[in-house]
Amino acid sequence: MRILIADDEAMSRRLLQKTLERAGYEVIAVENGRQAANQLCTTNGPKLALLDWVMPELDGPGVCGEVRKRKEQSYVYMVLLTSKEAKEDVVAGLESGADDYLTKPFDAEELKARLRTGLRILDLEDRLVEAREEMRFKAMHDSLTSLWNRGMILELLGRELSRSRREHVSTAILLCDLDHFKNVNDTFGHLAGDEVLRETAKRLLSSVRSYDFVGRYGGEEFLVVLNNCDPAFGFARAEQIRRAIAQRPVQTSTGPVPVSMSLGVLLSHEWGARPLEELLQEADLALYAAKAAGRNCVKVASPNAADRDADLRANEPAKQRR
Amino acid sequence: LLRELLLVFKHEFPHNLLALREAVEAKDENRVATAAHTSKGMLLNLAANRAAATVAQLEQLGRQGEVAGFAALFATFENETGKLLPQLDACMQEACK
Repeated sequence: MRILIADDEAMSRRLLQKTLERAGYEVIAVENGRQAANQLCTTNGPKLALLDWVMPELDGPGVCGEVRKRKEQSYVYMVLLTSKEAKEDVVAGLESGADDYLTKPFDAEELKARLRTGLRILDLEDRLVEAREEMRFKAMHDSLTSLWNRGMILELLGRELSRSRREHVSTAILLCDLDHFKNVNDTFGHLAGDEVLRETAKRLLSSVRSYDFVGRYGGEEFLVVLNNCDPAFGFARAEQIRRAIAQRPVQTSTGPVPVSMSLGVLLSHEWGARPLEELLQEADLALYAAKAAGRNCVKVASPNAADRDADLRANEPAKQRR
Repeated sequence: LLRELLLVFKHEFPHNLLALREAVEAKDENRVATAAHTSKGMLLNLAANRAAATVAQLEQLGRQGEVAGFAALFATFENETGKLLPQLDACMQEACK
């Protein structure tokens, strides 16, 4: 564990350094408060600090105050070391953001015990952050495929559309649906169905750029958002995805399962400032056209496609088309 | 470690004592408080409690701005540290054996 010690007095600094090194700490020693604050405020700075109260440039409580202002960084456990013993000094030190307080000259065993308290608190913080990150991940991702979940992919699409309108570039929306997925579940079982969905997610992710978005939109339906791409690229990428999905059967625990995908593609710049829901509806119509054309193909939505496919839409609800 | 600390003390303390003397002569309460505080920390690390207590009083006078008491108390402090240094030298020889 790395620990920062800040003391302008060379003897105390040396004594602290030796004591802590013998206790197994990796010590960073500085001689004024400004250097201490700079070290502690860096992203990967030490998370444990022993600060002398009276120091040039910035005193110990001043360092605590600066570190506590930086709320976004992980917690730093700070102990003030000083010969000040008056109750009002203790209160002022703790009010500045220090976690503990130790009077000089320090007792080595007491110092180490108090630092162990700090380590327990830092460990607790690590576990809380880990749990929070796990919850955040679960709130934004689909549990089966680890792709963005429906809520998140729609939010990302909304943001991307706003950006593309602002910057006058095009965003491609790909609504993708596995063909005859119900048959996969019925023939090979739901476990195999889940394996197909996971493998599909992998193939989708490996077919797009790192800054594109891929989400699970529904059961066997996926939404891909291609950022800043021209129409030709959008179509070519959709074809590439289709081929990647269909190129070989998915190996499942119950044997190989042949898969294919139909895709409806829509390019945002052709559709002006229409709301997200309408754009998705257009992509859905293009997907429907791909299904109607025999599946395992890509259809691109065009401004008059809505009229052309209006009859189909009226005759067959989306849920039945798969 | 003791030898190392004594070496640091022997190197650092004379500079600090000089700074304290100059501050006392200039009747500069802030500099007196700062230099006295540093001396106190060094002496406490060596368990030189009597000299540390004297210089703590000097620090207190500095913080309270009581410049009239500086010279007398500094003289006492110098006297005490004068006795202390030979003792430390003896300690160091012991530590080097």
